[in-house]
Amino acid sequence: MSATALSLGVADPAPLLATGGAADGLRTAVRVLVEGLGKAAVYFTIAVGLTLVFGLMGVLNFAHGAVTMVGAYLGGLVLVLVVGSGTGTLATIGVFFAAMAIVFAVTTAAGSLIELKLIRPIYDRTPTYQILLTFGVSLIIEEVARIVLTLRGIQPDPQWQAPMGTAPDVLLGRTDFLGIAVRRLYLFEVLIGGVVLVAVWLFLTRTLYGLYIRAGSEDTEMVQALGIDVRRAFTVVFGVGTGLAAVGGVLLMWDPIWGPSVLLSIDVLLYAFVVVIIGGLGSFRGTVVAAGIVGIADSVTTWLFTTGVVTFSGLSEVTIFLLLVGMLIVRPQGLYGVEEVGGH
Amino acid sequence: MSVLEFEGVHTYYGESHILQGLDLTVEDDEIVALVGRNGVGKTTTLRTALGLTPPRRGTVRFKGEDVTGREPHEIAGGGMGWVPEDRRVFAHLTVAENLRVAAHAAADPDARIGEAYDLFPALERFADKEAGDLSGGQQQMLAIARGMLGDNDLLLVDEPSEGLAPQIVSDVVEALRAASADTTMVLVEQNFRLAMDLADRFYLVDHGVVVEEGDTDGVTSEDERIRRYLTA
Repeated sequence: MSATALSLGVADPAPLLATGGAADGLRTAVRVLVEGLGKAAVYFTIAVGLTLVFGLMGVLNFAHGAVTMVGAYLGGLVLVLVVGSGTGTLATIGVFFAAMAIVFAVTTAAGSLIELKLIRPIYDRTPTYQILLTFGVSLIIEEVARIVLTLRGIQPDPQWQAPMGTAPDVLLGRTDFLGIAVRRLYLFEVLIGGVVLVAVWLFLTRTLYGLYIRAGSEDTEMVQALGIDVRRAFTVVFGVGTGLAAVGGVLLMWDPIWGPSVLLSIDVLLYAFVVVIIGGLGSFRGTVVAAGIVGIADSVTTWLFTTGVVTFSGLSEVTIFLLLVGMLIVRPQGLYGVEEVGGH
Repeated sequence: MSVLEFEGVHTYYGESHILQGLDLTVEDDEIVALVGRNGVGKTTTLRTALGLTPPRRGTVRFKGEDVTGREPHEIAGGGMGWVPEDRRVFAHLTVAENLRVAAHAAADPDARIGEAYDLFPALERFADKEAGDLSGGQQQMLAIARGMLGDNDLLLVDEPSEGLAPQIVSDVVEALRAASADTTMVLVEQNFRLAMDLADRFYLVDHGVVVEEGDTDGVTSEDERIRRYLTA
């Protein structure tokens, strides 16, 4: 092993390469790809609300991650309250979807209220006000969460483990997928992420409100000049964006890598921003593609670390932020972004 | 009853005082041209009418109703259309989607869009094409069609010939003539001859106030009262 390799935390890859032939290598690649798509589904679900809100309203919502954290706790709460030891697999999954619907409804309403009462009065101010406001909201949500969790004695830092206990066996462990053993949870996350993607796409392309949102993302003033109350669309989009962030939290609730914790707030916000910036602020298509890139990069680097090829534990985070820096240097507007968005 | 009235209107961009007590009146079924040099407040007049840049002082009346300080979507929803400078079509929406946004309030949007296609057949051919991929002339047609779709009583048209080839300008002029059959129009146009050709009356604006007004018959840019305000 060379001195250079040691200094970079790169272990000797020879034993790893020697253990498998081409078939094993292909199976590993497919498994890593599926896991990457699972992560991508989670990142997409969280980031899509952020990009919709920025695209239409020009608001960078720093409270987005806090809402994901709230979604994880609320979803976990529903599961812990309803699911018992005798609850069957189908019933548990049914409760999961019910929790997702409840969390989406509650947080969409809360998000709409925040837009109406807090953000609307400062639209005419500089973006700094919106950033400070949403950052402040994020801090308040985090502190309230800490207080409640501490008072109820349910926060074993850093994660609340109870919701994970409700995950049905069918989602735990690995399953044979096209001849390859992959984690069932990742397949479940891909399924949910796919449903969210199709639902948002249908909303944007098949509804009149979606049309207003796409038009408003290009030129808000022109939409107003055509007689459309764009502020109402702002409320709807901020509400839906908030709801989607919380749905992402519910999705993370059973994920052993994440799970409900207050720290989720800042952790997912960073990933969501990376996805949105790489994809292009305000671009739905960009968010889909960037979530795939970040998810697969995360999966590959995690595999490199867990198999011992690289011993540097921060490889995944460093790689993802290097992708971000590279994009900002090469194409600052992102893959599908435009130079100016919002028009207000 | 006048369709549009400005009474002592003062409009600012930040600290820049653009309209400095502008008065004008637009009557039903006429085309009124706003002419003048660049930067004298013609576009600002249109933006003020639509509430996009609200006045700090003065009164704007639309169909006899005081609309000063109202939200743009309320004023537009009341029957005021806008064909902005630089077209401002929604580049990533198809032609059909651009028209669908504009026809949102119509009782039968598809029928209204069909009428627009009858008036501008080229748009129907490109219905599924993204508006950003259209030529400048086609985008201008789309912008005019979009402005007409709201069953408007007044259409504000800003620099319709800007950046277009001469043969395309004649098509745009025909489109505006067709549009004016159904609606009153305020036209901002740098091309003085074109403006006089299209309009019934004109207002000559300088430094945010009206300095000349009258019928367009026989008016040319060589008239002394006009020329001194049009030359730098």
